[in-house]
Amino acid sequence: MSLSNLIKNWSSLRVKRPYEDQYKDKDYKWAMVIDLDACTGCNACTTACYAENNLPVVGREAFSKGQAMHWIRIERYWGEGEEMKGRFPDRGAQFLPMLCQQCESAPCEVVCPVGATHHTPDGLNSQVYNRCIGSRYCSANCPYKVRYFNWWQYPERAWPNPLELQLNPDVTVRSKGVMEKCTFCVQRLTEAKGRARTEGRRVADGEVVTACAQACPTSAITFGNLADDKSQVARTWERQQIKLASDRQEKDENLRGYRILEDLRTYPSIVYMERVRDSEA
Amino acid sequence: MIHTTDESDIEIERRFVPKAKDINEDIAWAQINKDVLRSMERPRLMYWVIFLASLALFSVGVYCEVYQYRNGLGAADLENPQVWGLYIATFIFWIGMSHSGTLLSAILHIMHADWRKPIYRFAEAMTTFSLMTAGLFVLVHLGRVWQFYYVVAYPNERWTWPNFNSPLVWDATAIGTYLTSSIVFLYFGMIPDLAICRDNAKGFRKKFYWFLSAGWQGTDRQWANFRVAYMTLACFLIPLAVSVHSIVASDFAVSQQPGWHITSFPPYFVAGALYSGCAAIITLFIILRYVFRFEAYMTMPILDKTCRLTFAIAMVWTYLNLIEYASAWYGNDEYAKQALIFRATGTYAPYWWAMNFLGSIVPFVLVFKSLRNHLPTMMVVSLLLNVGMWLERFMIITPTLAHGYYPWTWTGDWWPNWVQIGIVAGSFGWFSMLFMLFCKIFPAVSMYEVKEMVYHRFMASKARA
Amino acid sequence: MSNSNIDRRDFLRVLGISGAAATLAGCGNTSIESGAELVESYVQPEDFVVPGVGVFYASTCTQCGSGCGIMGRVREGRLLKLEGNPKSGISGGKICGLGQAGVQVHYNPDRLTTPMMREGETLKPVSWDKAMAVLTARLGSSSALSGDQIAVLTGEISGHQKVLLGLLLESFNSTNHVVYDALSPTIGRAACKAVLGVEQPVLQIDKARLILSFGNDFLGAGPSPVHMAAQYARFRKAPRGTLIQIEPRMTLTGANADRWYAIIPGTEGVFALGLAHSLLQHQEYAHAVSADIAEALKQYDKDTVSEITGVHADALSHIAGMLWERSPNLVLSGPAAEGHAHGFDNAAAILLLNLILDNRGKTLQGQASHPFPQLTPITGSTGALTRLNQAVTAGKCQALVVIGSNPVFTAPTFVPFANNLSKVPFKVAFVTQLDETARQCDLVLPLLSPMEDFGTHVAGYQPAGVDLMIQQPLMERLYPETRGLGDILLDLLKQRKPDAYKAFPDYYAYIKTAVTKAKPVFRTTSSDDNFWEDALRNGVLHLDGPPAALETHAAAVKVDKPRSVVTDVHYPFYFVPSVKADLRDGRHANLPWLQESPDPLTTIVWDSWVEIHPTTAAEMQIREGDILEVQSATGSVMAKAYLFPGIQPDTVSMPLGQGHTAYGRYADGMGVNTFKIFDPVFDEHTGELALYATRVIIKKTGEHANVVKDEGPTALQQGRKLVVTMAADQAQLAKEISRVTQ
Repeated sequence: MSLSNLIKNWSSLRVKRPYEDQYKDKDYKWAMVIDLDACTGCNACTTACYAENNLPVVGREAFSKGQAMHWIRIERYWGEGEEMKGRFPDRGAQFLPMLCQQCESAPCEVVCPVGATHHTPDGLNSQVYNRCIGSRYCSANCPYKVRYFNWWQYPERAWPNPLELQLNPDVTVRSKGVMEKCTFCVQRLTEAKGRARTEGRRVADGEVVTACAQACPTSAITFGNLADDKSQVARTWERQQIKLASDRQEKDENLRGYRILEDLRTYPSIVYMERVRDSEA
Repeated sequence: MIHTTDESDIEIERRFVPKAKDINEDIAWAQINKDVLRSMERPRLMYWVIFLASLALFSVGVYCEVYQYRNGLGAADLENPQVWGLYIATFIFWIGMSHSGTLLSAILHIMHADWRKPIYRFAEAMTTFSLMTAGLFVLVHLGRVWQFYYVVAYPNERWTWPNFNSPLVWDATAIGTYLTSSIVFLYFGMIPDLAICRDNAKGFRKKFYWFLSAGWQGTDRQWANFRVAYMTLACFLIPLAVSVHSIVASDFAVSQQPGWHITSFPPYFVAGALYSGCAAIITLFIILRYVFRFEAYMTMPILDKTCRLTFAIAMVWTYLNLIEYASAWYGNDEYAKQALIFRATGTYAPYWWAMNFLGSIVPFVLVFKSLRNHLPTMMVVSLLLNVGMWLERFMIITPTLAHGYYPWTWTGDWWPNWVQIGIVAGSFGWFSMLFMLFCKIFPAVSMYEVKEMVYHRFMASKARA
Repeated sequence: MSNSNIDRRDFLRVLGISGAAATLAGCGNTSIESGAELVESYVQPEDFVVPGVGVFYASTCTQCGSGCGIMGRVREGRLLKLEGNPKSGISGGKICGLGQAGVQVHYNPDRLTTPMMREGETLKPVSWDKAMAVLTARLGSSSALSGDQIAVLTGEISGHQKVLLGLLLESFNSTNHVVYDALSPTIGRAACKAVLGVEQPVLQIDKARLILSFGNDFLGAGPSPVHMAAQYARFRKAPRGTLIQIEPRMTLTGANADRWYAIIPGTEGVFALGLAHSLLQHQEYAHAVSADIAEALKQYDKDTVSEITGVHADALSHIAGMLWERSPNLVLSGPAAEGHAHGFDNAAAILLLNLILDNRGKTLQGQASHPFPQLTPITGSTGALTRLNQAVTAGKCQALVVIGSNPVFTAPTFVPFANNLSKVPFKVAFVTQLDETARQCDLVLPLLSPMEDFGTHVAGYQPAGVDLMIQQPLMERLYPETRGLGDILLDLLKQRKPDAYKAFPDYYAYIKTAVTKAKPVFRTTSSDDNFWEDALRNGVLHLDGPPAALETHAAAVKVDKPRSVVTDVHYPFYFVPSVKADLRDGRHANLPWLQESPDPLTTIVWDSWVEIHPTTAAEMQIREGDILEVQSATGSVMAKAYLFPGIQPDTVSMPLGQGHTAYGRYADGMGVNTFKIFDPVFDEHTGELALYATRVIIKKTGEHANVVKDEGPTALQQGRKLVVTMAADQAQLAKEISRVTQ
């Protein structure tokens, strides 16, 4: 029976993403826009993510070994070349919130031996903790290095009583040996989709946002449904002339939108808006 | 260190083997049986030294693994992005080691190179055991080893399958097939010898060999079928061996990391595998020759031939290695170029240069005939070659993970900790423990094939005369 | 809901907070297994509890004084997460990391769960009856204390808690409410008062086309960072404003500047006067200042200024030119400019620029007048602590009540408050968690967490109109042996003046009465109960009000001969402390999320460090991770070096707030306490401690340790195009789709 299932669904096991405009026929394709000119690097999103997604605090020792579990991290770069010619970073620092790019053609998905990370119909790169055996191949193949592995049995140490009362019951607490990553707060999306389905409609724009987008004091993060033409995210993508299924955007020069490491053909779902600096200042 | 309880038994040691001959064709068939069977009973003291040392090393590995299992992989100081550490590097190393047996027993068999006959049995055993060791690393590196069977495609009520796109599934399949086949091949080729053991053993051992020899009588019909079956297996095994390491190479070549995404990886890996396997044969050749007093069978001319083969493969490897560098250097892939420069100049540069020196320069020692025939030198050189080959695998994993696409997550000074080193050391203990047990329980030199060889040589020399 | 007899217990039921059994359900039912509690079926849940559905309740964040409205997500009686309250004008539905971590105050494993009383050297748990008996014996009806014999030491405090404290003190004929804030804005406020006539003007950041900020970290540890961040976001939309930051060490705001200038610490005023001089060249600005000031300003020519400040002379003319071109603009002074012996003068000089540029009423306004001045916050200062310390030293203080303040940790070494505490016969602390000060007290009472208690709050910074923020419990109390501050104060007051307070069975009744009494001010026609329920539901009572007008006192600006900073041969480095937006003065160092939240600029976690410019480090052969001893005239601390390009080369910087010794598992032993190396330098005008005026010497210890940070071995993008930057004149922001609108 399962063998016939395998043969019947053989084509679905083959990776064909990104379909050209595949998501257009669907109700949902979750995507994000991050405005780097608005991002101040304040780390509110990071903490919101810890709160929403039951991320363990790993402590100084583990952090020093590179075992931190921040699904969204704020990177701070100093300028290169012209900008750093002088003694000081004259144009300030460069902050980059880096989270899972929810690639439409995710390098992590193809290499997972057990299919623990796979693509959902609404365009998420999901992680099935129950299925994960912890080979970490996905992490090795992730160009953005945004997958975080449970190196330790964090549930035993990260939430001493009564801190565990804070844990979000909608989100699994991960045990040692599994990979985890940003889910675009899938628990919120699922809830919103269920609610909308009950009411016989599509999730409205702004009805559901990720924890990071909700917290961000400067509203630098916009989250929404790319399949909904009227959503802010879809309109921004369109205005910025970013096509999901393209690895090299042909766009006007003064548009700020871009995707990171796009030439690797990962087809990320996150568009960043270039940081702006007043060169006259 | 010589175990001198029975002088008459070790007379063989002093017997002179003509330099130019692979084997003394005057040697009596009964003597062959006697010599090989004796090796299974009373090896030199060194055997026990090696065996106990292996057991100790293995225990260290077991301790480290238990510690890691209980605490999580963080105990091994693995981190993002150094997710694999020594485990996968050593996994490739052991997969590589497994290629020598197939080379000697299958490839040289169908090419009728009969000098392989006294040494192929232990090489084949080496194949099996190094595959078993490699398989251990697949398990050791898993975060949830208790769920390892998810990788296997088995029918289940949930209709879940492994991801057939993943090279790791190819790996699991290929290694599983190769391991099964090489065990069958090893066992199959041993049946006539097991019958000899059966005929000479007493008590429990007799029952054991009686069972294993599967009713071998040595009839013409049995020999005829045996030859066909053995040849068929050999032909089956060769593509398997090549595919296994090509697939291991695909783990990397198929991925996107700069420094891994290289089309020349499969042949490069196969060459490296044969290379380290041959070097290991030289090492074990010298050890077995001494420990089991096989001087009459594992002769210097055979060692000489093995060394020449090793040198040839070393040059193939060097060539493919240079291709890897050149394709990164001349390619338009800036990321791959940076990764290469990092290997040559970054944190791990000393090891990278050491690997190139040991892998490409040291084999030139094998060019000199006098050195080829000097056992201590060969022992050292063969070990050095394998150190070089292990470093090659370390260089594939660690610097690449340290210097991927994303600069923010580069690592500056990541080094494996005691848990990883302990488990790697344990794997060497596990391998040599199994190998030493094998040589004690089963004939490490193929008696019937040596007899054939002696017979052919005798006929040939008679014809010349 | 309109039942007027609703009591606190029913109220909690109405809030959806069921019994403790439901609180614990789903998270390890050991108490149920042991029979201590009954299993309660979800089939018959408490009213308003829908299993599996999170409900949001409005409250107010008390992590800092900004008074942001928050929403607590409650499920099955458990508080899970805090979000911003969209109805709050201050937070606008947004929340910062510090605010998020409020739940960890509540769930902190190191919470104090029973009263503690001193027995010899240690504190021992006692029952509430015993504790209250001790407390009332000292401060109850029989207490003979009066006047200066009693003192209450708090941090910044507002609302009805402040009122009750005042009333309690009043019953002792005392006004000794000492408000201590280690990072006090006193100097800047005094300067604003002197120049603009108000202590805290409202900054219209979004209306400015150019912001020139002298070390004002409004995006980081400012007075209302969430609100400022929203303003900043609008400021960056079309037409995009430009931010220029001048400071000795790059703050988070500096990191977001279009142009960042390093300046020698303490010379900000000189630079501002140089700009003033330059601006006065324009005719239309000439009338802004009197002739003698204009005359005095002539000494501030750009070369002199450049020499004193270390900023290039061209930069001065360039900035002056931009200020002239881009109007309205906004010039801000910040703690880095104010924390000096002449800090007041610096701030006044900086504010003078706003007068010259005529930003009054455009980007700077006064706050709307507050209808309840008794609820507005008292701002703390170090001076207040110094005076208390003198009283304590003199043996005048017989009883000391400490609430929300930790002077033993934050007081500099020359205010030996910790040693003097023993001279106070009775010290009582009200805390949620034991800290360094509470451990020295005779009686420690465990408070409800801010997530369990009622309260009202008024922010010191009211951006638009007036908000009375309502704090309400988001869940049932975790520990039966904890009590609300208001309830304890009310109990004491009932002892002191039984007649006046007998109408209030508890603090809830008090605060409800108090808030509903305020109804007429909010001009609503709803009934008292509806008004109160709306207040709870919205978490905020808002009143529109016109912004107050600002005054102009250019004469308050002292224009002396340009003074350069005196260097000290023994202590050649300027010491600039950095205030992390989340740890602040260290009161939040016990929250693990904040400890693990990387410092935005260095990405260091769980530690203290010494920022040093790479060129200085190269001269001294210091590598990252070398352990340095930073020694001032008053003390020394040791921390790892971190090479940081955004700092003046002869300046070193260390973060404040780390180095706790008795503040729970997450704070203890992390880093060092940099409060203890401050030099006794005081602002000449206000007498307030100057935090940025310390001089230090750096010594290498020869030891080395890895810096625990998120950053890898490179902070460069290596040509990867991760963060791409576009020139402002190229970007067409006006055509972009934006949620943030004017």
